[in-house]
Amino acid sequence: MPRALVVFAHPCEESFSSALHGATLSALAKGGWEVDDCDLYAEGFSPILTAQERRDYHDTAINTAPVQGYVDRLRAADALVLVFPVWNFGYPAILKGFFDRVFLPCVSFTLGEERLKPCLDNIRKIATITTYGATPMRAFLAGDPPRKLIKRAVWGVTKAKKVRYLALHDMNNATQAKREGFLARVSTEMAAF
Amino acid sequence: MRALVVYSHPAEGSFNAAIRDIVLAKLQDAGADYRLVGLYSDGFQPVLTAPEWSGYLDAPANRAPVARYCADVEWCDTLIFVYPTWWYGLPAILKGWLDRVLLPDVAFLMPDGQNQTIRPALNQITRMGVFTTCGASWWLTRFVGAPGRRTLLRGVGLLCHPKAKKVFAAHYLMDSSTEASRARHLDKVRAQMDKLIGATVPAPQLKEQTQ
Repeated sequence: MPRALVVFAHPCEESFSSALHGATLSALAKGGWEVDDCDLYAEGFSPILTAQERRDYHDTAINTAPVQGYVDRLRAADALVLVFPVWNFGYPAILKGFFDRVFLPCVSFTLGEERLKPCLDNIRKIATITTYGATPMRAFLAGDPPRKLIKRAVWGVTKAKKVRYLALHDMNNATQAKREGFLARVSTEMAAF
Repeated sequence: MRALVVYSHPAEGSFNAAIRDIVLAKLQDAGADYRLVGLYSDGFQPVLTAPEWSGYLDAPANRAPVARYCADVEWCDTLIFVYPTWWYGLPAILKGWLDRVLLPDVAFLMPDGQNQTIRPALNQITRMGVFTTCGASWWLTRFVGAPGRRTLLRGVGLLCHPKAKKVFAAHYLMDSSTEASRARHLDKVRAQMDKLIGATVPAPQLKEQTQ
């Protein structure tokens, strides 16, 4: 059974993000995925890269030690699914720290003689399920950092064959119908992922 | 001038610390009031908590957990960031500072009956400086859309005065930097600081005389 690592970043159960998380988990299971649910808040993940981790960053013999469990889960995954709200034009800090601390040299990339070489080629599919406070225009004008990070940087270390980016914009004015429509779209897409 | 310097590197003695010291020296030379916030040395907690999220819109109570940091932001007219670029963006500790401190009624106003969209609330900030280091090249950083630069200069920039003066300097390809390239970069930081705070700052002596 192919394995999907779902990384989720929202503190509150009653949030719309949490509903999206739940819908994603059940749709993936229905679609035949073995789901590894990585709820960063629930797991108490610390996003702060420490001074010692910074010193050991390039020492690939020991750099994974503080986050070995997360590295193993990433390496065991055939798909990576990120579920998070966009806050201040980017990932929530807890998710940004997941990249800072876990996507290490020799985990996500190797610094070859001339160029970066991707290491996470076990990940064949990437999906993002997210919500923006911004309208599509405002997100675009700000350069839409999370979209580019996922479609270019995260894609770059996996070279995944399939990348889906599902986003609901202008959350502060989103009606019940709009939110339900998005939930349904997420369920459909993830069941067929 | 009242400058807030937000600094986010874990290790003292880093190149980022050298950049920070130049920024501070320039502010001091210009006779500016400044505050330095060292997120690592403060032990700043970047994770927005469940109660904070539930009370996010409830101003002014929403600022209680980070009141000191909010007061710094409201106090300053010049906002400067010094940080290493990790994974093309801000270190999590700095991203969390944005998440937790730039709150409704501190940094922006939420949509209400009269207004459909979010409106900026940091109009008093007329100068912004962003100083960083990148492992990636200029081209690769640009290809990924320079998320760190854009999050600050455009994202946070949208909340500041519409005509705010902005400067940026990055040392790319840090892992193959040399003493010469780092020295050149520090000169660039000095020049950008002059550009940012140069002409409009009263000299320290003058300030003392008028008081």
